[in-house]
Amino acid sequence: VIDYQFIKVNTVEEALKVLAEKNNVKIIAGGTDVLVELHKESKDLESVDYLLDISGIEELKDIKITEDKVEIGGLVTHSRVLKNKFFTENIPFLAAAAKDIGSTQIRNRGTVGGNVCNASPAADLFAPLLALESEVVLRSQKEKRKLKITDFIKGPYKTHIKKDELLEKVVFKIPAGEYYCNFQKIGRRKALNISRLCLAFLTVIEDGVIKKANLVPGAATPYPTPFKKIDDYLKGKLLADIDPAEIGKMASDSMVEITGERWSTPYKRPALSKLAERAVSCVKEEAGFDE
Amino acid sequence: MNKINVEITVNEKKYELEVGAKERLLDTLRKQLKLTGTKEGCSVGECGACTVILDDEAVNSCMVLTAQVDGSKIITVEGLESKGGLHPLQKAFIDNQAVQCGFCTPGMLMSALALLNKNPNPNKEEIKTALEGNLCRCTGYQQIIDAVEAAAAEWGK
Repeated sequence: VIDYQFIKVNTVEEALKVLAEKNNVKIIAGGTDVLVELHKESKDLESVDYLLDISGIEELKDIKITEDKVEIGGLVTHSRVLKNKFFTENIPFLAAAAKDIGSTQIRNRGTVGGNVCNASPAADLFAPLLALESEVVLRSQKEKRKLKITDFIKGPYKTHIKKDELLEKVVFKIPAGEYYCNFQKIGRRKALNISRLCLAFLTVIEDGVIKKANLVPGAATPYPTPFKKIDDYLKGKLLADIDPAEIGKMASDSMVEITGERWSTPYKRPALSKLAERAVSCVKEEAGFDE
Repeated sequence: MNKINVEITVNEKKYELEVGAKERLLDTLRKQLKLTGTKEGCSVGECGACTVILDDEAVNSCMVLTAQVDGSKIITVEGLESKGGLHPLQKAFIDNQAVQCGFCTPGMLMSALALLNKNPNPNKEEIKTALEGNLCRCTGYQQIIDAVEAAAAEWGK
């Protein structure tokens, strides 16, 4: 039986106090995951004694952009990410990933913090956030700590958040110099789709040479993992010389190295390969190297 | 399970209510306020039949606990009609045969209204994006999109 006390807080301090003092607390923000669990009478909710509603905490609703850094408050909705002018102009693959989440109604409620903390293997934001080498800022009454998102995720639907901690914000450095990014996705249909596969690619170049490349698939592996091998391979090469099809093949090989041959592999191998190929092609084109 | 006191404004009328800790906005509207225009379809945020406007944004009322929205303003399909007359959106839906079984219609109207309130001159793509979370199993959508376009044209006048 699901039986909890509902607690609403309006400040981070109040939330941290509840998290420190009470046990079996479940946090609710936009509710787009929790309400599904509630409707399904999920067993996971049976152990919840307190449902802590943080959706009214104004201080977690800011997008802060400084010269070299972006901070996205945990309660920023997907709608605000996709409409943010700085993102659409400068980090378009993040806005594109936010736009592909659910539907307008879901994007109006669902939050960045919720997407990250729920850690679904299909969470759309992970791919670009990982490509941007984002970190999460976690707070408790005792401390404030910063973790790379890759270190924060423990596994499918599991993170390293402690029971007395609240995700305050997601932060990343704005890539310096000349950089390009791209987001690709396959869903079963356009709206409402939960990612079957997606992919984010970010590269920084200097005089045509790749200084940095981050290629991160989403929903391809049990939890989002950057393809380090590809990043290492690309570094130091001329972007103009890169063969997108080869990167595509490397991407699908890297995926199968992690997952092994699964029932979905015959589908996912060529699909991911094509996504990576497209992402690299788009970036080359944008950088002025026509295919 | 505790009870929570909330004050919400629905269709410009204020209500002070006591709600359950698991009570969804959808339940409050339909059961407490008897505003049954808002429909329950899938109950998991996929079909959009329960769409209402919450503080100017279209949301699925099955995805919101009423206890979360104390102090909010909500518009439901019942809020469209004024002085006994149909809203231009409602007229456009009728004129364009955008209603067949009608179950999705209240949600469609709310999504369309949220769009037009913010963007009175939407293009087709913007209309489709606004309605992407609303399923219709009868019409095939074309008539609904036509209706929203027609309402937008009327809006502009």
